[in-house]
Amino acid sequence: MADSPLEAVQRRFVRSITFLNDPEFVAGVSGGGKLTAEEAVDVYRRGYPARLTEALGETFEACWRVLGDEAFFAAARDYIARTPSLSYNLSDYGATFPEFLESRPDAEDAPFIGDLARFEWAYKEMFHAQPHEPLAPEVLAAKARPDAVLRFGAAARILVFPHRVYGLWRRDRANDAPLKPSDWEGAERLILYKRTGTSVFVRSLAAPEHEALAALRSGRPLQEALSSVEGLTADDVKDLFVFLSEAGVVTEVR
Amino acid sequence: MKEAPGDRKEPFVGVGLRPVHYPHLLGRPRLAVKWFETISENSMDSEGRPLEVVLKMREEYPIALHGVSMSIGGVEGPRPGYLARLKTLADRVQPFLMTDHLCFTGAHASNVHDLLPLPYTEEAIATVARNVGKAQDVLKRQIALENVSSYLTYRESVMPEWEFLVAVARRAGCRILLDVNNAYVSAMNHGFAPETYLDAVPAELVAQIHLGGYTDTGKFLFDTHSRAPTDPVWELYRRVIGRMPETPVLIEWDEDIPEWAGLEAQAVTAAKIAEEERGRQPA
Repeated sequence: MADSPLEAVQRRFVRSITFLNDPEFVAGVSGGGKLTAEEAVDVYRRGYPARLTEALGETFEACWRVLGDEAFFAAARDYIARTPSLSYNLSDYGATFPEFLESRPDAEDAPFIGDLARFEWAYKEMFHAQPHEPLAPEVLAAKARPDAVLRFGAAARILVFPHRVYGLWRRDRANDAPLKPSDWEGAERLILYKRTGTSVFVRSLAAPEHEALAALRSGRPLQEALSSVEGLTADDVKDLFVFLSEAGVVTEVR
Repeated sequence: MKEAPGDRKEPFVGVGLRPVHYPHLLGRPRLAVKWFETISENSMDSEGRPLEVVLKMREEYPIALHGVSMSIGGVEGPRPGYLARLKTLADRVQPFLMTDHLCFTGAHASNVHDLLPLPYTEEAIATVARNVGKAQDVLKRQIALENVSSYLTYRESVMPEWEFLVAVARRAGCRILLDVNNAYVSAMNHGFAPETYLDAVPAELVAQIHLGGYTDTGKFLFDTHSRAPTDPVWELYRRVIGRMPETPVLIEWDEDIPEWAGLEAQAVTAAKIAEEERGRQPA
């Protein structure tokens, strides 16, 4: 079925903004002020990448800092040209930006850039996440029997990266010393969580801690999960439970 | 929660709630402003800081929810799920008013995150009316639509913007958020008298007034919200508020946002003008 006049004009306007000026659309409008019709369409056309670049810059601030203005804006421009915004929420834009950054020549000098971007995306998602109702520490302690299964809240996420990106993310903005491979080499394991309110917390995990938390999160019973982890000492287990209690990441014990 | 007064004996002037002012406002200072407006989309899909601050401020001030993405003029209407999420937010915030823009923001799944003007046609009126009906059904309340600034006009338009705005409100059963700055910007860009526009909007349809600042690029006026209202806009506001003195008024400032005192001073000016115009009303 043919478009109605309104549908046609809306489709052409959006196409002129996101792709190329549609001559039929330009012919159907008059520019305001001293603008020609084409210049008037360009006012809207210029605003689109500017808003999406701003959104990418907000979410991937550390990547921007690491890459510098020129490389980051070039990456944003190329990404925006091939990735339309599908959500009404600007904050949703950029889900595939980490992989895009990774695929660019800039990644040769910054092999961690994809991981850093994935960390920033995860952090943004945690910032917007609904806080969960944590289990009270005394209830967790009373119910933590060997066969207990812990359920983690939605506002807790365990991450593992091939590169150490948390330090890069936290790096002082005023520190403009060049990055060295020792700044990013080595795997990184993290848990992101909300305690109460809206603040997002990040804790680095040792490999055994990460393995234990991942096993618990997967639904394995307490004793089975902990005993499966090589190198996890009794003190580590104690520390882990202190953390789980204080961080409030467990919402239920079955 | 503090409700908006029904009988407004004083000017009811508010400002947009912006992150740069959160630290100051959360210190609970005495304020000259009576209410706040917050951008709906910043809190609809987030349990982050903006929503936390909105709910905190809501304990002491009336709040209006102002959307930028309903796309009420889009032939496809609001996106699936948008209205339900907005309703959830409204249930939490209990706003005294919910508003969005008389425009469309995308087409065929692509969102351009801009307030794109509509052609002033019968089809556009019918489309907006249909979408407003859906929105008001879901939200269980009347909404108000804001006139947008524009930098182009459509040759297919068959009526002036003010006729379109009023026709939409009457046909859709919604109200109008009358942005005096936007009317001025569009008037200067498209060569009509802003007084003609503003005088044509019946007072009983206006739910709120917006005041903001534009940038003169030399070729056209650009609605940037990056400065205080200009003198011509203040004069037009005086003309409007004299006809509808109880209407809520909002100062919008989104770029180069000043410190709180600078923003509040604009609200005080708006209240003073409203007070002066009340004094001119026959007893």
